[in-house]
Amino acid sequence: MKKLAIALLALAALPAFAKDQLHLYNWNNYIAPETVKRFEDFCKCEVVQTYYSDNEELLAKLAAGAKGYDVLVPTGNAVQALIRGSQLKPVDKKELPNLKNVDPVYLNTPFDPGNQYSAPYAMSTTILGYNEEKMKELGLPTDTWAVIFDPKYLAKVKGRVTVLDSPDELFAAALKYLGYSANDTDEKHWKEVVELIKKAKPYWAAFNASSYIKELTVGNIWLVHGYSNDIFQANQDAQAAGRKFHILQGMPKEGAVLAVDSMVIHKAAPRSDLAHKFINFMLDGRNSADLTNLIGSGNPNLDAQKYIKPELKANPAIFPPKDVQAKLEQLQDLKPAQRRLRSRLWTEIKAGK
Amino acid sequence: MRKRSRWLWVCALVAYAFLYLPLIIVVVYSFNDSRLNAEWVGFTLDWYRKLFANDEMLLAAGNSLFIALVASVVSTILGTMAGMAMHRYRLRLLPILVLTPIAIPEILMGVSLLIFFVMLNFTLGLVSVALAHISFCIGFVAIVVRARLSGMDETLVEAARDCGASPLQAFAHVTLPLIMPGVIAGALMAFTLSIDDFVITFFTAGAGTVTLPLQIYSMIKIAVTPEVNAVSTLLMLLTLLLIVIASKVSPSLLRSD
Repeated sequence: MKKLAIALLALAALPAFAKDQLHLYNWNNYIAPETVKRFEDFCKCEVVQTYYSDNEELLAKLAAGAKGYDVLVPTGNAVQALIRGSQLKPVDKKELPNLKNVDPVYLNTPFDPGNQYSAPYAMSTTILGYNEEKMKELGLPTDTWAVIFDPKYLAKVKGRVTVLDSPDELFAAALKYLGYSANDTDEKHWKEVVELIKKAKPYWAAFNASSYIKELTVGNIWLVHGYSNDIFQANQDAQAAGRKFHILQGMPKEGAVLAVDSMVIHKAAPRSDLAHKFINFMLDGRNSADLTNLIGSGNPNLDAQKYIKPELKANPAIFPPKDVQAKLEQLQDLKPAQRRLRSRLWTEIKAGK
Repeated sequence: MRKRSRWLWVCALVAYAFLYLPLIIVVVYSFNDSRLNAEWVGFTLDWYRKLFANDEMLLAAGNSLFIALVASVVSTILGTMAGMAMHRYRLRLLPILVLTPIAIPEILMGVSLLIFFVMLNFTLGLVSVALAHISFCIGFVAIVVRARLSGMDETLVEAARDCGASPLQAFAHVTLPLIMPGVIAGALMAFTLSIDDFVITFFTAGAGTVTLPLQIYSMIKIAVTPEVNAVSTLLMLLTLLLIVIASKVSPSLLRSD
């Protein structure tokens, strides 16, 4: 009888081989492989990742009713959109003691007041990226938006500059340069932006949001308006390829756009218990620091600071000083009428000579 | 006459260069000893080594192959049947139903299939993707098969029937061998359409279902590495192999007869 019980117990233990799974819907290369491994060992489960390359992709897919995902990592305004569409499950803060590690500056944002749904994961800024040697040679400043908007400077780098092919980002940069908020929606100010861009456009090589990393690395382009992570990547590639120059990040003194990606739980998450475990795990300083060390992303986690490579910590584009930090802004969604107007202005910019 | 044929050669060369140079570049750079596909540094097999150590990429490639095989086999059977029916009978509705998925914008089909699966409470995964692929591949197979049928001598089937063959036997021994090039061409088309489909796959794939196009697309943000070249090269080899096999099975596929 006892033997039978033991045999039954052994049988009952068998399904344990079919591991629990956490489904993470994430950006590609947005979690360090060693972190995934550590979490899998910790939770005795398997992390299954699926990727998106744009917040809109994620929103479209979930809006149509796709499910099966536990944790998503959208950017601020997409978090807001998901909350509005009641796509998210509130987080249970009792399960997230590590939330205390997050810099309060990044908590309780207008996107998710009181952090009922989201916990900050990592962030990036939209800044200048430049070829250090070329900029020095030409004597150009690298700490102001003027260098991509003012013809006085642009004349020296004509045809070697690209800006992002994104109305959100380019308008924000121009508004910052003109001294307004990145989220300014005053039509008069937008007209000023259009004038500014039209004057600068003849000096730009392209509106480029995808291949500028490579162009920087190869040395065809010397100055870009781009994402901090991408510029970091460009320099890593350039050094690995044995280039004679460095690609550096330049934080404009006028301020810039900040994008904070947060972890949220989908309303239909099959394993919200594992999701909470994962979020709390990623809020641990050491795990959070892994990502920064891998891709040079900004880190909202105070506890992570001691694990981050010193050269990254000294980088003002990744860890901006307090006075610059105050000038960083997260982009908010436009109202439909504003979006229409902006699309029209954008077309005018791109079509005009 | 000589002059005209020379021009023909030039045109042909330019056309072939346009078609094949990009593919050759992809293959060449898969052996390049640099993370950037920008200039030739040196020969290496590193990217293939990395590829075979990259579980995610292999899983995606495996999923893509599995889906493409299932989709091409099933859609070839159904598409051949549809092609036969459209050829044999004067049907009004069937051609529209079969051919519409070809004309519908992919994004529309992707979204509507997703909504449909969600409505049925169907778990998204490999099966949903395969079903979606089958649904848009059928039309292509049916068109090719019907075109082949319309060029077939109908009296041969009648002769077979006169000699006592059952309809099934007549189909198996007369019709099928005659339309085989069309069936194989349809199957190959379905295979390639399925293996590189992005839009419909994106919408119908569930959590954890990654195919090669989805995987590569999500890597664009962080710059595509030569691993992508390596996996593309292997895929090209596979496609080439399939075409060679197809031409062995049915020599008339690659020649006009």
